[in-house]
Amino acid sequence: MQRISHATRKKWERIAVNGVILTVLLFAMIPIATTLLISFKREQDVIRKPPVIFPCDTSEKAFDLRACRWSIEGYLRVLAPKPSSKSPLGFALTGNMLRIYLPNTLLYATVTAFIVVILAGMSGYAFSRFHFRGYKFLMTAILAITGVPLLTNLLALYQMSVTLRKAHLPFWDDRIFIIIVYIGFYLPLSVWIAKGFFDAIPRELEEAALIDGCTPLCALWRVIMPLAMPGLTSIFLLTFVNVWNEFIAAYLLIAKNEYKTAMFGLYDFLGQNIVNVQVIAAACIIIAAPVVILFLFTRRTFFRAMVEGAVKG
Amino acid sequence: MSRIALIQPKKRRFRNALPFWLILPTIIVLLIVQVYPALYTMWLSFHEREPKGWEYVGLRNFQRLFHQSLFHESIGHTIVFLVGYASLTMIAGFFIALLLNRKLRLSGLYITLLFIPWILADIIAGMVFRLLVIPDYGLLAGFLQNPTIFPPKGLSVLTAVPPHPWFGSFPFPPAPAMILLILASSWRALPFITLLLLAAMQTVPTEVIESSRIDGANGWQIVRFIMTPLMLPTMVVALFSLILTGVNSVGMIFSLTGGGPGTSTEVLSYLLYTIGWSQLRFGRAASLALIMAIVNWLLISGTLRLTRVEERSR
Repeated sequence: MQRISHATRKKWERIAVNGVILTVLLFAMIPIATTLLISFKREQDVIRKPPVIFPCDTSEKAFDLRACRWSIEGYLRVLAPKPSSKSPLGFALTGNMLRIYLPNTLLYATVTAFIVVILAGMSGYAFSRFHFRGYKFLMTAILAITGVPLLTNLLALYQMSVTLRKAHLPFWDDRIFIIIVYIGFYLPLSVWIAKGFFDAIPRELEEAALIDGCTPLCALWRVIMPLAMPGLTSIFLLTFVNVWNEFIAAYLLIAKNEYKTAMFGLYDFLGQNIVNVQVIAAACIIIAAPVVILFLFTRRTFFRAMVEGAVKG
Repeated sequence: MSRIALIQPKKRRFRNALPFWLILPTIIVLLIVQVYPALYTMWLSFHEREPKGWEYVGLRNFQRLFHQSLFHESIGHTIVFLVGYASLTMIAGFFIALLLNRKLRLSGLYITLLFIPWILADIIAGMVFRLLVIPDYGLLAGFLQNPTIFPPKGLSVLTAVPPHPWFGSFPFPPAPAMILLILASSWRALPFITLLLLAAMQTVPTEVIESSRIDGANGWQIVRFIMTPLMLPTMVVALFSLILTGVNSVGMIFSLTGGGPGTSTEVLSYLLYTIGWSQLRFGRAASLALIMAIVNWLLISGTLRLTRVEERSR
């Protein structure tokens, strides 16, 4: 008899805990949900006083599902499709966001993440497998660099970017500079994370390969790399998202409009359309959607890099 | 035989040099992007731009910075922001972690959903919160600007002047915009802290908890006297990382408040931007940057010492 009451109490407790978590989640989702709602509203519904949550009221009823006035006006104004004879679809998206800013962001994020993975993989492997002279010093130095705030370095980097721009070097433009800067920003932590991943791979595997006649580089490539791949993927994703989301460096270091990033585009919208919030909301959704989708599909990989990075600070 | 003898030293030399070649590219990049700019900032903090070029001014940049009233004010803002942001995130994160720790069937789903704010850019998070309270049109503005709920005239978060400070010129109670900034920052940092604390919570051995339960400890006592002491190192790490990101983050202020209304959300990191790029006083900004870097560095070495202590005690 007592056991049954205990079981029911457990059941009720579980329902209560789930309920509390769902409430917390609901509150956490409110800002995102409202942004989604706003992005699908028309201008007439956005600028109403007092504001309405759902654009579904008619003159008779406060909420009528059939009378909802959803629209994609905000998205259309961000993407600005124009009829075009050249494009196969019959129209071309002419908004700066999709034409300039998002491709730039994608380019910077991909290239940076790729190079960071290679460099962090190389030095992480070296730090994990060899105890050479200056090992401790370099490891501590890289950790100390992690602590230099981005903002501190931006002053000097800004001066550097101005000087380099004036120097008119061949093949040089702000894109190369910002990618180098991003690599430098995200490399130190990645090195530490990579070292952690390599430390987890048993040394014996490599030694076996060496005995079987593999050179050290061959052992690295054939034996260690496949095992380190999940870890390196998580470094790639973490760096990709970090660069995608970065604002202040891109805002300050890139001068030409056609090299600017999506986050700058968003900030720019804020200046232009303070009243047309549906446009800002749509821009937010368009920029955030790729990384959120990427995260939902690869969350395990993300958490791995995060836990590894968090322990090191 | 002789061939092997010839190859061997060469091979060994290669093996010895290998780590060096593997690390070299990293070091070069870090020297260009991190070390050189840091040294340049130090140089910059003792110089000021004059019409004929950079001129050495000694400690004058620091003196002028310390005499600037906005500097004192923004230290106050930073303290208010950090205390609010760190305590709110820690407490909320701890409770959510406690809930998630109960091995629920949907824990994975909850964590994934809870994590979405963390993946958003700080500037987007700021924008999202701004959309909530934009005067007249924001969805919460209807509630906040209602005079019957917030007498006498309703509350317009982004334009309301800060209340009269209670203690001298220290900006407490904070302006509504500062509270919004704290909420938005906490919202974004919460998932990470929750996960960190949850990971620590799961390392607390269940035997200890069960035996204390048999000894008659209630839920609160278990949390207070068993879990909290065991989780303390992780909590300190979480707190430090919160303070660190709080001191350095600036993107959200750009999109949420722009430092305003007036100067009521002007924290040190935004002040650095204002001095550097709005007033174009790079020397003075560099001296502020140097101070912030030292604060950062102290925080990090503190965290490191604590984690090392933790590792040793294990």
